Amino acid sequence: MAGMKFSVLLAVGLPFVAPLSAAVKSGHAEAELVAGVSSYEAGKAFQVAIRLTVDPGWHTYWINPGIGGMPVKATWTLPEGWTAGELRQPVPKRFMTGELPGFGYEGETVFLVDLTPPAGATGEAECKVKLAWLTCDDSACVPGDAELSVKLAAGDGKPGKEAAVIEAAKKKIPVPPAQDLLFGVEEREGRLILFVLSSEVDLAGVSAFPTTPDVIDPAEPLTFEKGKDAWIATGKKSEYLDGAATRLDIVVAGGKLKQPLLLSWRAEK
Amino acid sequence: MKHHTFLGAVLGAIICSATAHAIEPGQAAPAFTVKNVKGEEVSLADQKGKVVVLEWLNHDCPYVKKHYASGNMPKLQEAYTAKGVVWISINSGAGVSASDLAARSAKEGSKASQVTVDPDGKVGKAYAAKTTPHMIVIGKDGKVAYNGAIDSINSTDAADVEKADNHVAAALDALLAGKTVEVAKTKPYGCGVKYAK
Repeated sequence: MAGMKFSVLLAVGLPFVAPLSAAVKSGHAEAELVAGVSSYEAGKAFQVAIRLTVDPGWHTYWINPGIGGMPVKATWTLPEGWTAGELRQPVPKRFMTGELPGFGYEGETVFLVDLTPPAGATGEAECKVKLAWLTCDDSACVPGDAELSVKLAAGDGKPGKEAAVIEAAKKKIPVPPAQDLLFGVEEREGRLILFVLSSEVDLAGVSAFPTTPDVIDPAEPLTFEKGKDAWIATGKKSEYLDGAATRLDIVVAGGKLKQPLLLSWRAEK
Repeated sequence: MKHHTFLGAVLGAIICSATAHAIEPGQAAPAFTVKNVKGEEVSLADQKGKVVVLEWLNHDCPYVKKHYASGNMPKLQEAYTAKGVVWISINSGAGVSASDLAARSAKEGSKASQVTVDPDGKVGKAYAAKTTPHMIVIGKDGKVAYNGAIDSINSTDAADVEKADNHVAAALDALLAGKTVEVAKTKPYGCGVKYAK
């Protein structure tokens, strides 16, 4: 275990620097904060991972939790001038909690966050996050929360020994398509028809999930099928959408896609 | 606008399914009779001409705990029952026990007019109650005036109660003042109602 030895030496050499928080157990999940760098570089964004491991039989929730449930919430306390980006969430699973359809995660989930130190940042930086989540199974819901922190020294921002955690997590997090894809939404008789021009992407066998809550009813799966010129999926309009749909983001993953994609539609004004 | 040119061609293949709807604001509130924790019958028909609140609860749910531990729910119950509103708390969970619920309600400081048990979920299903809490407000005309969440912040954190817009209080204030309820439907948040299978 050369890696272990290295970490022990590092800990001796730099007693105040800890790029990995202790795991905190709360409710039915355990949370841990992991920095992908061995130090931070002033003015340059770097990524940290939040690993949330849920007890077997329980689940947490995605950005769009479906009906019931609650998205994971991260509240950062950072040195002055530092900023934190949004909690970037991997592709979820669909499940039912009793009779309520939802989206979320079982087992281990790794979220990513961009942290950006200001240009003139110096010295050791402690990055703290308060994480709050809800776990449910068919018979109960139990909230959990944890205060996690990592300490980083100023330096060259080189990848640290946990960088592989970040790289693995990136592959599961949807990104906007490299080139523009024509993604559109039309409303017909209480249903929303989603279409993606098929000349630009192959959606055979993908899983699709509505990222924007309360536009598409989560009760039925979104399934893309190949039409003449487009991949088409339809979903029932959410009963909680007031008026016409004006925006919808969806995630498509799996099939022939190398990386999950985030597709965004905004109504033309 | 090229997508419009092909969309028409593919629409023919799309099947539109009929769907069951929840109780929408403006619809007549379904009649029901349910037993309170003392074993007495409570009937919606007996509340004719009164504003009625239906509150689905389960004291084991962290969202329900949030609104009781913070005092929010008892405060609303106390304030609006004092104004003549009838507040009926309903537990539609499978196998709910009247004596347990009576003890929990007393402990949590409930000020509801009635605390009732619906172990077979009949009332819950009639109103398509999804979560605990799930709030329905019925006007003096017997029509549903509000259906949805208690307030605007989906969390289990009691500190959020003060920051949230309370949809139930807003609906009740409007009804009692003879005004239109502005926000009549929202997505309820909470734990799922643990209906009998």
